Amino acid sequence: MEQVEWRNPKGIQYKPNTVIKRTKFKFGMHRPWTAEFREENAPGVHHPKIFVEPIKKWSFFRGDRVEVLVGKDKGKQGIVKQVIQERNWVTVEGLNCVLEKMGERKNFPGVYLQVEKPLLVTEQVALVDPSDLQATPFEWRFTEDGEEVRVSTRTGRIIPVPASAEETIDYKTKSTYKEQPKDTKADAVTEITFEPKLKTFEMDIMDKMNIKEDRIPPKYYWY
Amino acid sequence: TISTSCVRCGKRNFKKFSIFNKRGSRIFKEQRMDPNYDLPHDSIFLVKYSFLERGVRDVGYYVDGKFVLVPEKVPELIVPDLKDFELKPYVSYRTPDVIQSEFTAEDLFNVVYASKIVKDFKEGKLKEDGTPVEPSPEEKMTPEEAKNNADRTGTDIF
Repeated sequence: MEQVEWRNPKGIQYKPNTVIKRTKFKFGMHRPWTAEFREENAPGVHHPKIFVEPIKKWSFFRGDRVEVLVGKDKGKQGIVKQVIQERNWVTVEGLNCVLEKMGERKNFPGVYLQVEKPLLVTEQVALVDPSDLQATPFEWRFTEDGEEVRVSTRTGRIIPVPASAEETIDYKTKSTYKEQPKDTKADAVTEITFEPKLKTFEMDIMDKMNIKEDRIPPKYYWY
Repeated sequence: TISTSCVRCGKRNFKKFSIFNKRGSRIFKEQRMDPNYDLPHDSIFLVKYSFLERGVRDVGYYVDGKFVLVPEKVPELIVPDLKDFELKPYVSYRTPDVIQSEFTAEDLFNVVYASKIVKDFKEGKLKEDGTPVEPSPEEKMTPEEAKNNADRTGTDIF
């Protein structure tokens, strides 16, 4: 992601590669391609430094059942709706909400919207063990097949990654993807049409196009 | 602001008054009225030399301000017929991951030459120093001939 405020024009009289750009972005509830993010990170807008704990392995996915540990909804369980990794945030559906008033005008009192506030993954939220539906600390361990899974340390039960974590803007799951006209089919991609020959690419093309080359190149020496 | 030339070039100083659309000469405003202005365009002021921006060469030359076309300079794009061609620009998400090992020179040797050596050995057609009794056309070549063949058009030896 690049936000360039000023770039020196092209020309020999200008110093080359002079760019004024933003290196640190403020990540909030709005995603980087939205207008609100652009406004928050407009050139010239400064904000205090936000400290984010670096997490080596991200373990919270959309569709995960999770228990809230702080706030009004402490002890309640919900499903993760949104994940914002840049701030270690997770939004749980229906929990940790706040009423926001929108659209207030002179004649109109405004509408109230219930908006979920994000929760920190490190301190404020815990994964739920599917066997007894209680909050557990967990670990990433390997199965006998070599697959890495989350295992609850209290019970030893595997906490599977939910299927809705695989969803993207293009498909719900890879196997249910609807093929578009510009997409190459799977069998055409995996087909091996390579025939090894003792010829370079150009020589192979020359043979295919029936271009005959009988000239002998002159001798050359490397000193 | 200062004007460095004696020609004003349509620049007006209206800072005292808050009017909209005061920037630019009449030609500038006419160009901006074009609905296609936002598309990437070359420098409008240097139409004659606008090819310099994109790296496209001119298809002819100018004589007395008039353009003369040179047919040989017009590029001819040779595109193969893509009928019944299954490969498309994008790959479907349903394809499984393809993991291929590296194709080394050893693999090429095994495909091209190894079978002949094995066959000769099994049938006992190799002499004591290892040379074949019935050499194939490739085996009959002298080193100079082989080098010449490798140095033909399309060589990758430099």
